[in-house]
Amino acid sequence: MNSEKLIDLCVDALDRTKRKGADEVEVYAESVRTITVAIEKNDLQVSRAQKETMIGVRAMCKKRVGFASTNDPTTIDETCADAVTLAKASPADENNVLPQPEKSEYVSGIYDPACEGFTIDGAIEQAMKMLDIARSIDKRLILGNGEFSVHIGTRALINSKGVSWSEPESLFVYYALATAREGEKVSNMDYQFDATRNADSIDVEPITRRACENALGSLGAKKGESFNGQVVLSPNAAQSLFASLILFQANAKNVLRGMSRWKDALGSAVASDLITIVDDGRMPDGVGTASFDREGVAHKRLNLIESGKLASFMHNTYTATALRMENTGHAAGSARSVPGIGPSNFEILPGERSKDELVAEIDKGVLVTRFSGRADPVSGDFSGVAKGGYLIENGRISRPISGTLIAGNTFEALKSLSGVSREQERVFSLTLPYLRLEGISVTAG
Amino acid sequence: MLQLLREIANRSSEWVELRYHARRSKRISVRNGKLEESSTLRLAGVGVRALIDGVFGFASTADISESGIARAVNEAQSAARASATAKREKIASFPHVALASGEFAVKTDDPLDGHPLTEKLELVMRIDQRIRSAAKKIVSSSVAYSELQDEKVIVTSDGAAAHIIDSKPDFRVLAVAQKDGDQAMGMDSAGVSGGYADLFAGRTPEEMADNAVRLAVDQLQANYAAGERATVVLDPGLVGVLSHEAIGHTVEADLVRGGAITSGKIGTQVGSDLVTLCDSGPSQYQPHAAGELLVDDEGVKTGRTVIIDHGVLRSYLHNRESAAYFGVEPTGNARAFEYSDEPLIRMRNTYIEPGTSNREEIIAGVKHGYYLQGLGGGGQADSNAEFMFGVREAHEIVDGKIGKMVRGVTISGNAFEVLKSVDAVADDFSWGLGAGHCGKGQLAKVDAGGPHLRCIVTIGGRQE
Repeated sequence: MNSEKLIDLCVDALDRTKRKGADEVEVYAESVRTITVAIEKNDLQVSRAQKETMIGVRAMCKKRVGFASTNDPTTIDETCADAVTLAKASPADENNVLPQPEKSEYVSGIYDPACEGFTIDGAIEQAMKMLDIARSIDKRLILGNGEFSVHIGTRALINSKGVSWSEPESLFVYYALATAREGEKVSNMDYQFDATRNADSIDVEPITRRACENALGSLGAKKGESFNGQVVLSPNAAQSLFASLILFQANAKNVLRGMSRWKDALGSAVASDLITIVDDGRMPDGVGTASFDREGVAHKRLNLIESGKLASFMHNTYTATALRMENTGHAAGSARSVPGIGPSNFEILPGERSKDELVAEIDKGVLVTRFSGRADPVSGDFSGVAKGGYLIENGRISRPISGTLIAGNTFEALKSLSGVSREQERVFSLTLPYLRLEGISVTAG
Repeated sequence: MLQLLREIANRSSEWVELRYHARRSKRISVRNGKLEESSTLRLAGVGVRALIDGVFGFASTADISESGIARAVNEAQSAARASATAKREKIASFPHVALASGEFAVKTDDPLDGHPLTEKLELVMRIDQRIRSAAKKIVSSSVAYSELQDEKVIVTSDGAAAHIIDSKPDFRVLAVAQKDGDQAMGMDSAGVSGGYADLFAGRTPEEMADNAVRLAVDQLQANYAAGERATVVLDPGLVGVLSHEAIGHTVEADLVRGGAITSGKIGTQVGSDLVTLCDSGPSQYQPHAAGELLVDDEGVKTGRTVIIDHGVLRSYLHNRESAAYFGVEPTGNARAFEYSDEPLIRMRNTYIEPGTSNREEIIAGVKHGYYLQGLGGGGQADSNAEFMFGVREAHEIVDGKIGKMVRGVTISGNAFEVLKSVDAVADDFSWGLGAGHCGKGQLAKVDAGGPHLRCIVTIGGRQE
């Protein structure tokens, strides 16, 4: 559905909701078409085509909120009525307000018109390419899972204060999970992901190759060693260990609930001064790039952590109002639910040294390509298995290790870390470097 | 809709499956007196699966006009056709099975729509208030109500033509108590297939709230359990969790093919001969099981599948495709959560059959052990049946008598080893997993339960 038609739908829903007694209304609509080709055990699995338009209506009556959504245009009237009924029956909260209009500056480069002509055959061709690459590298490889998908959509948002946005977008997403098998020996499963907005930039080869090579490299892994020392995390492992923890602490809703450890830490050091974290909703070719957030507030580039110091929380309108802070445009979520809070393109900025240089300074350590375990967002304690682990000895990667446990505290590790690589990789909408941690407990499994 | 889908299916020369699914769902949740969510969702659409040269293609559309559905059929067929040349593994043909035809409705005397939204919202607010004012030590509360109302029409070109009405509400409460910086959590929940009165037939909302408060407050006074291998009596809730989470997933035929521990074990002894474990579409022994499924999402009529018969592994859980691969009859376990989801192999209501022992006698037979009730905070299990679950409420058993409460208990082990250690199964029964969902890429409403039983597990506690 094109932008004009989607806006018309939103305007109609807004008018109906007002007429039913709401004093403020927000309508958000998403129209999406997707093509997905899945890979399973070195073979194509199933190909899918999907199409849907979802409309979410948030009604406010005297600072009381109700929400209703539908994908069926014939039920739009009942949906608007539900939102008003729920609002009227709900308790009032003075922080229930909608954002005011601001100048609409649209980002460029998130929609490639060439996506419209992309067919299921084109998607199958890309998936086959992934299978062929794996086959050509080594017969012992298994692409256990993978996917190539195309997402073409339009988002529109209007509210009764006069906010009005709509924009089309395209996204090509691909990932591969590889393992290698030799007789009874099974390697670690390696996972790699990439995405692009432009049909011309689709390139499934680097991620497929990386997943396959990492899987092969971990074949024949043996028991590691136990010590307390340095650990290098891959971008993928850094995501599992650090990203959700940082996002939990920086989420203003958790600040408001008193659950964030960083609730009083604005301006003070929460990480090593090597760490600068940016969330940029306008990043070129970013997976999370969009002109406006889930409430119609313009996306911007925001420093969450600057040289180790906490610079900002992520806010939506509710938390910004309640905490009397600036709204950072981090309202997130789909048209199926009320706006929450989330990042757009989360990036730990690269350091100056290469990953190999970081490894070269380690006498004894472990490189972890994937982390499987638990990282508690409240206490920060983590423990789990280093998947695709390698022993580092005398400045070099010496051999793959299996079943090795790593444990520590993420808050402490974030402060004491001693290296950030200049190489970065994309993990969903996150862009992350390799990180070198200090004082981690490593136990041979 | 049935007529329309039939006409469209009849036009296709190749096998096709059309599934219309309209859903109305409501969610209300409150935390510490503040409304977290009050929302409704309406979804309607058709999911289409086409089979060409032994390869599936899937398409879904929210455009439920004749032309919209016909377009989705074309898309599913082109997806199948395009994959057919490249895909190596093909489906030969579906095995024989009784496909459903006619009307199927979950029974209730008290339909959810007879109770307005405002009544449900007021209930949630009132129960949340009740929890916070129940005891001084209570520092946090949350209460949630949700419901799913589904209408489905499933038509396949080989004869399924079913119209299905379903209704699944659930309700949960949580209380957090605090004393000198020490926190403990208490919870309770219920979920059914049925109406509003059915949801609260076991316990009223007030009883659930009081139960959660009691649990939170009592745990503050309880000692942590010590880790040990111990004889335990599990309640129907934990028997259900064990059956579903630790055993059930390992017998889903797609996971069996992926190398689950049960692979190649049909006909072998995997548990004590006191154990008969089933997965059933209709409710057994007690009505309104939350996972009630009368017809699966491939149009197969469901029944009771005996997975383990007196300790011997008899069957996996199948859809039509896996049944073709294993050369058996489909068991009616294909389920799709929304119209845009493809049917996957999922459980329904998984349980252990009641035995002949008396519950009190089972407990009386334990010299030193634990009486364990319900699933607490989290847990996990994997395809080799290794599991670890948190326990909601645990009491010591000393010389055959239930003694004081202990907190922080987890149980772990290999589920099949646990089944082999079962030495007594009670003659009672209840469902115990009603609220919440099972996740496997997509969600499914399931239930699980059974009788009380006695077995040996590893107790994880805390050394102080």
